[in-house]
Amino acid sequence: MHFNRFLCTAVLLSFSFLALAQSPVSGFMNGKGHGAIAVSYTAENYDKVFLVPNDAVGIPVFNEVDVTSISLYATYSILNNLDAVLSLPYIQARGQATEDVLNELGFENERDGIQDVSAFLKYRPFSADFGSSSMDLVLAGGVKTPLGDYKVAEGLQSILAIGNRATSFTGMAIAQFRTDMGWFVGTQAGYSLRSGEVPNAFLCEIKAGYGSSRFYADLWFASQVSDGGVNILGEGFQGFFPATDVSFNRAGLNIYVPIAGGFGVSAGVSKYLNGRNVGQATGISGSVVYSF
Amino acid sequence: MNLNSKYSLLAFVALSLFGTTSCQKEEDTLPTIAAIAVTNADFSTLEDAAVQGGVAVVLSNPNPGDPSGDFTVFAPNNAAFSRLGLNNGNDLKVLNDAFLTSTLLYHVSNGNLAGNSLSDGSTSGSALGPNRRFIVRGPDTYINGSKILATDISAENGTVHVIDKVLLATGADIVQSALALTDSKVFNSPELTFLVEALIYCELTGALTGSAGSPSFTVFAPTDAAFKQLGLDLGVALNVPADIRQLPKEVVTAVLLNHVIADGGKFTSEMNAGMVTPLGGTALTLGAFNQGILSIQGNSNSTVANMVIPDVLTTNGVVHVIDRVLLP
Repeated sequence: MHFNRFLCTAVLLSFSFLALAQSPVSGFMNGKGHGAIAVSYTAENYDKVFLVPNDAVGIPVFNEVDVTSISLYATYSILNNLDAVLSLPYIQARGQATEDVLNELGFENERDGIQDVSAFLKYRPFSADFGSSSMDLVLAGGVKTPLGDYKVAEGLQSILAIGNRATSFTGMAIAQFRTDMGWFVGTQAGYSLRSGEVPNAFLCEIKAGYGSSRFYADLWFASQVSDGGVNILGEGFQGFFPATDVSFNRAGLNIYVPIAGGFGVSAGVSKYLNGRNVGQATGISGSVVYSF
Repeated sequence: MNLNSKYSLLAFVALSLFGTTSCQKEEDTLPTIAAIAVTNADFSTLEDAAVQGGVAVVLSNPNPGDPSGDFTVFAPNNAAFSRLGLNNGNDLKVLNDAFLTSTLLYHVSNGNLAGNSLSDGSTSGSALGPNRRFIVRGPDTYINGSKILATDISAENGTVHVIDKVLLATGADIVQSALALTDSKVFNSPELTFLVEALIYCELTGALTGSAGSPSFTVFAPTDAAFKQLGLDLGVALNVPADIRQLPKEVVTAVLLNHVIADGGKFTSEMNAGMVTPLGGTALTLGAFNQGILSIQGNSNSTVANMVIPDVLTTNGVVHVIDRVLLP
């Protein structure tokens, strides 16, 4: 039973931490000595923005934006109750401004680069075993900081900025309930302290799914509520996008299938449901994972 | 599942629901003037103009120049920009950058000007400097030559009224305004070069130069294309401005005086169909006031001239750029 649970966990864990940039961590622990490495690709597109109080039709200057990323993820279990998670994305944002407008404003239709590196530690102080089900409490803390020299203060050109250059310290509390049949439901809530003019934010997520040695799928709903910040084109806006109040609700679906020899592939979709100061993006993701 | 785990699961689900529903944000605010331009499809050209003219951030914030912190903006809709051949953000490239910013500022004033306070004959200062004049014509109210289509759209930082023509003011006298056009300070390509050459040739620049107490005029200004067409009609080569000097000075003077009316300077909203007498003495025929413009025909023209850029306010009158030379 114990061994099976570890196997299941390894499978479940392998891609659940990857999915389309939602919470930085999941409720699953690898088990001492186990871990995973993954390369993940995401693509999002939006041609409308959630603004306060009314949504914008079309993106000013750029009309439509595509954001793609390739990320490296790694996780390793130092102890049974202590995991480390590392990630680093390369992001490319492309707009569709016309040649004339680009010349008029001195802008470009692309911004790309290495974005921010994240490092998290997950600690499981409590676990309850009910026989055919269990509940884990996991506390996670980590830091995210810019690694690349991407720009964020180029006025309206920074509609295409690939990040906000904040260094953030995030703490999450995760509660996860699992049955031996493979069904699970997890919820997490936390707070992120962010540097400079980027407002701090409350983060939460709820996820439900099923995982076996052959197949994993989950459905998730995540929120970010910024603690302050200005609205784009609202009072106090000075053309500096990192200072905006980015808040949103997102939902998505992930599927993972192990192939052979520790390798597996995943695919996912996600959508921004509502929010403010963020593109109304729909996205897809895929990754290749190696678990050990 | 035993009792303990059932209760745990229930508690856990309850906590999750609480956690996620508390992650919501509700707030009711008015849009700022800039936000109104960006979130309204009928202001997409204005949005592009505000971005290219560098005023989008200013119009997102309170007005530092007024105790109310508010602006009043007369906002031209997409149709208004299209009248000038500016159908989208791309077309704005034909305008000189500084002129675009100045033009936008001419639509802005300090404080809140309510729709019901725009009485006939009243004026309002602009952020650019020159005033705007309100004219009541039948059931409609005009600001200069632009009809006001809707009033009193509330914004976080002021009030927006919608107009059907872009407001144009040069802040300079008739001669300096024409020179600005020839120097590519309005459009990136020079315009009115033949007209200015003709004025200099006939030594009429003095009469159209403004000074304290000098009279104001209504001027119909033919484009360079209009002069080239005149050359074709007369069988005289008018390919470059200097060619105007091939014609006798008295002839050119008579033609020029056919385009100037000593009536204090009138906007289209103040003009009616009928005859008007320019400085030259031979009457012009104005057509019916239709969609904010009127046609003009000289005594010897077989076809009417149309206004391509009406209602340009100068310090000593109003200029209407037309597409034909008016022959006396």
